[in-house]
Amino acid sequence: MSANVMSHWEQLVTVALLGTDRRDPPDVPGPVADLVADAVRPSPAERMLAEVAAVTAIRRGGLLPLAPATPLPGPGVDDRPRCPRRASDRWRHLVASWPVLEDEWMITLIACGWRVDPEIAAPMLGRHRRDPVRWGRAVVGVGPLAEWLVEFVPSIALAGGRGGVGTNAEPGIAGPDRDVTLELPDLPIPAELGALLVAPGAEVGKVVGQEIAAGLAAGRFGPAHRIVLVNLLARVPSSGLADIETVLTSGQPGAVDFALAASLLDLVRTRRTMLDELVRPEASDR
Amino acid sequence: MTRWSVEQVEAIAPSAASMSAARPVAAVSRWRGLGADDRAVWGAFHGSGAEPYDTMVDHAAVGFSCSCPSRRVPCKHALALLLLWIDGQIADGVPPATVAGWLARRGPVVVKPPQDEGADAGAGSGAESDPGAGSTPEPAPERNASVPDDRLAGPDHHDDRPDGDRSRDDRVARMYDGLNELDRWLVDRMRTGLADPALARFETWDALASRLVDARAGSLANRVRRLAGVVGASPDWHELVLDEIGLLHLLSQAGRRLTTLSDPLADRVATTIGWQVRQLDVLANVPDTDDWVVAGRSDTREDRIEVRRFWLRGATSNRWALVLSFAAYRQSLDTSLHVGTVVRADLHRYPGGALRSLVGDRFDGPEPAIAAAPPASSVSAACTEIGSMLAVEPWLDRVPAVVRAAPTRVEGRWVLTDDTGALPLRIDSVGTGQSGRAGQVPSGLEVLLAVSGGRPVDLTIEWTPTGVVPLTIHRVDDAVDIGPRADPSFVGAA
Repeated sequence: MSANVMSHWEQLVTVALLGTDRRDPPDVPGPVADLVADAVRPSPAERMLAEVAAVTAIRRGGLLPLAPATPLPGPGVDDRPRCPRRASDRWRHLVASWPVLEDEWMITLIACGWRVDPEIAAPMLGRHRRDPVRWGRAVVGVGPLAEWLVEFVPSIALAGGRGGVGTNAEPGIAGPDRDVTLELPDLPIPAELGALLVAPGAEVGKVVGQEIAAGLAAGRFGPAHRIVLVNLLARVPSSGLADIETVLTSGQPGAVDFALAASLLDLVRTRRTMLDELVRPEASDR
Repeated sequence: MTRWSVEQVEAIAPSAASMSAARPVAAVSRWRGLGADDRAVWGAFHGSGAEPYDTMVDHAAVGFSCSCPSRRVPCKHALALLLLWIDGQIADGVPPATVAGWLARRGPVVVKPPQDEGADAGAGSGAESDPGAGSTPEPAPERNASVPDDRLAGPDHHDDRPDGDRSRDDRVARMYDGLNELDRWLVDRMRTGLADPALARFETWDALASRLVDARAGSLANRVRRLAGVVGASPDWHELVLDEIGLLHLLSQAGRRLTTLSDPLADRVATTIGWQVRQLDVLANVPDTDDWVVAGRSDTREDRIEVRRFWLRGATSNRWALVLSFAAYRQSLDTSLHVGTVVRADLHRYPGGALRSLVGDRFDGPEPAIAAAPPASSVSAACTEIGSMLAVEPWLDRVPAVVRAAPTRVEGRWVLTDDTGALPLRIDSVGTGQSGRAGQVPSGLEVLLAVSGGRPVDLTIEWTPTGVVPLTIHRVDDAVDIGPRADPSFVGAA
């Protein structure tokens, strides 16, 4: 729109603030004069209103862009492939339903050579900004984009004045402000249940699955045991998940606490799917 | 019985567009119970809606009645009925009870059919829905076909209108009164100024909004209530309020001149003011069938209602459509459409070919819209596209576009830019970003920055008077929905 119209609009705003009781409407410029010329508007306020309406319509119809702006310098290059869309959808699901699996998701993603989908980078960094270990791990997963993003969105930087992103952040390497570890954190698991995990690799799934199924069927496990059972299933070697799923699926109808049985089965299935989604195609081909 | 000529029908049509709309309706196969005698012609029009429209025309004393929701009198159904009759496609018959009753209420024939040349559309008897029937000539802009006859016919006028027509006419009269009151109120604001302390009180606006609700101008009432929240909310609130005052005046003026507007524009003005249209009537309109790409979604809280907008774009027609859903506390918004997918469906537009539409039959999909992603334009071209839509309807609050642009910062303000220009991003001062915090940042900025890495991306945006809102990032293999999302503790909004 022309500078003439813009200038006229500014005058209208000034008069509108004061009111036509105190100041007359501005002189109408050429094209607007034609639009509002009307002998039936006797009062200054009515003329003012007509002018405002006309100039508003002109300003909207004459929408023009601002001057081109300088683009931002981009983040560093990250050669790793973006993780599959279903994996980033899974992360959202984990955050909402099974946060106990989030560490393993992140560590597996990094280990498999993926980079975090940029779509979830900001919410992920923001979510862990008060946890240096997880935030540091997220930085590794997100890659150079993390440092770049934090520069423009400070609210997702690490809280507590340690928000600097180390440039040498690599898997398993300590950055200047934090330690990045790819070790799964320990979860509280009672000794008698933890002992099940030392079963031979090929047997661990059946052993754990049968123990849980038997406990559910006998009513030994109830809602109070949910947390420790979840922890146990979150730390069972992944090779045993298929067996556990089989045992829990067949034992589920006989469980005294059916809801707990269904929930544990969902956890096992979610964990299996999560790990499958993060396998690189070339790795699965081998 | 003297049959009319086509020219006579054209003479009583509210506009040339009405005649154009009537011609496709003048097909015998779409009518049931057709009949005519020396006084009237009648029939029931079967569109795709559940209920037929009962239409009758008094061709001797010139009067019309139709159960359709159109404000136009005569409506396209009445015109079509006359065209069929002129064409000899309606056999003589005995009027059914409803027609006979209607004719009885109209009384005996007292006038002749309209003149061929220069016939005044208002010339006629005291018919209930006859435009300007029995009226004293008034300046054309102030006349409206739907103005109740008793307002025009003088104190001796006997109100013998059927209940449906009387109800509609009363509604129109109330709307006119409301628009007049609105304009007087706006003039007062100009007189006393926006610095008037009264404007800082919600009651000042709420009282006007309540009167507009009473006047059946609910959409204007909503605009007025929203405006109350703008006062004092930002340093440039005076400008925003003045802008909206200008639009309210435009709508008020246009609403009182509906008959002088083209049919589509009149329909859009009426809808914008708050004229209610039944969904059944919308679904009875001819559908717009296409592969509809769900290009964007945005949720906004308006008063105590959450509004979800889905912006759809026809893969073939390249036309935009808007599908709205509403939810109050603990209700659910529409989750049947998914951003980044394409669905082959019938879309039924609200009157006037408006953006707002209803989804009818779905034939296929949803499928990922990878190949059918809407084409992106430059910032400058997008401004032209948006401006041309606003030139027709300056009161539009939101206009969609797809641009290829990069996010960047200019003097502390975020914009979308390319080498043709820049568009400011709207600051979402009350919403939350995806990291869950409130702040003075554009909605979706964090994800936009992360996905774009500062490079140009294809984006569906929603223009608003205070800046554009990024809704969807179209990547090569998928789409990322970054539109503002409803608070899940308020409504179901998966």
